[in-house]
Amino acid sequence: MAQDLVVGALERGERGAWEAFVRRYAGLIAAAVRSIAREATTVEDLTQEVFLRLCKDDFRLLRTYDPARAGLSTWLTIVARSTARDAMRRRRAESVPLDAVPEARLAVDPVEPAHKLKLPEALLSPRQREILAMLYDRDMEVPEIAAALGIDRQTVRSAHHKAMLKLRAHFKDRQEW
Amino acid sequence: MRQRDEDRASRSGTASDRVLWQRSLATEMPEDAAARFLDLAAFADGRLDEDERERVAALLARDPAAAADVEAARALAGIVDDPPEARERILARAAGLVAAPPQPARVIALNFRRRRVWFDLAQWGSLAAAVALASWLGFAMGSDASLTYSQADQPNAVEDAFPSDLLDPATGFLRDLGEGIQT
Repeated sequence: MAQDLVVGALERGERGAWEAFVRRYAGLIAAAVRSIAREATTVEDLTQEVFLRLCKDDFRLLRTYDPARAGLSTWLTIVARSTARDAMRRRRAESVPLDAVPEARLAVDPVEPAHKLKLPEALLSPRQREILAMLYDRDMEVPEIAAALGIDRQTVRSAHHKAMLKLRAHFKDRQEW
Repeated sequence: MRQRDEDRASRSGTASDRVLWQRSLATEMPEDAAARFLDLAAFADGRLDEDERERVAALLARDPAAAADVEAARALAGIVDDPPEARERILARAAGLVAAPPQPARVIALNFRRRRVWFDLAQWGSLAAAVALASWLGFAMGSDASLTYSQADQPNAVEDAFPSDLLDPATGFLRDLGEGIQT
């Protein structure tokens, strides 16, 4: 696909690839940003922030895009809105006069801290979590779980297997297991 | 019977799997923004399998902003409109973020012949300067030495002249030591 070629050219550092990318997707990114901020100059600045985030650290974020999983336009829209929202949040925090902030709130980080999730929430589907909880927290047997959830036993075993693969892979990647 | 064996077999790794599950419950994981963007985009494009779709749907249920992002991505899919305002400014600013890749360095060969001429000139020049300096030095030293010796030959005191007068028969010193006595 043409969009994959553009990303590939960017990753290879081909001359003019970034300019071509900007020309092609500036409209989409500006439109995505405009759904977060209305003022024209703000839209312009936030669009610039999105492009900056995409090319920062030798296109680190852009390199995480996987064409097998999503279309580039969809992915860029998600990235643009998220980046614009974070930037707006930072600006609001910076623009509040110091005197107007109660002293108790001054210690609060103006940038929203990174969310932390419990590992099963981040990695597993609700059904996988439920099956593991039934198996290991409530010591239920596979047939009992299948009956309780109204699914067949093979589905229970398959969900268990996939969930354990994800957990093992996670801990193996971090050499904690 | 076969089903029971399968169930038993499926739980053969129970002990280690149980530990892994309990460990995961005690583990927190910072949200990976890049992975989240891909999850949301894949969800918006309908490219997730059932388990993944359920997982992301559960995340969206807790995060209205992310749900709005997915809706916006679906609404904007395929729209690549021109930014109506400040198009050129946006393009110029964004394009300026990445410098053009550096040109390969061009090696400029030195002109060997010209370098050789200068080298020869410097060599002969320094030789001539050395000869001139040595000549001047030799001449100066010679002049000084001859001046020194010429000054040393001239008697300038009575006591300096005495031994030569004593020995020189022309002075008549030995002849006239006493009257009437011939030596």
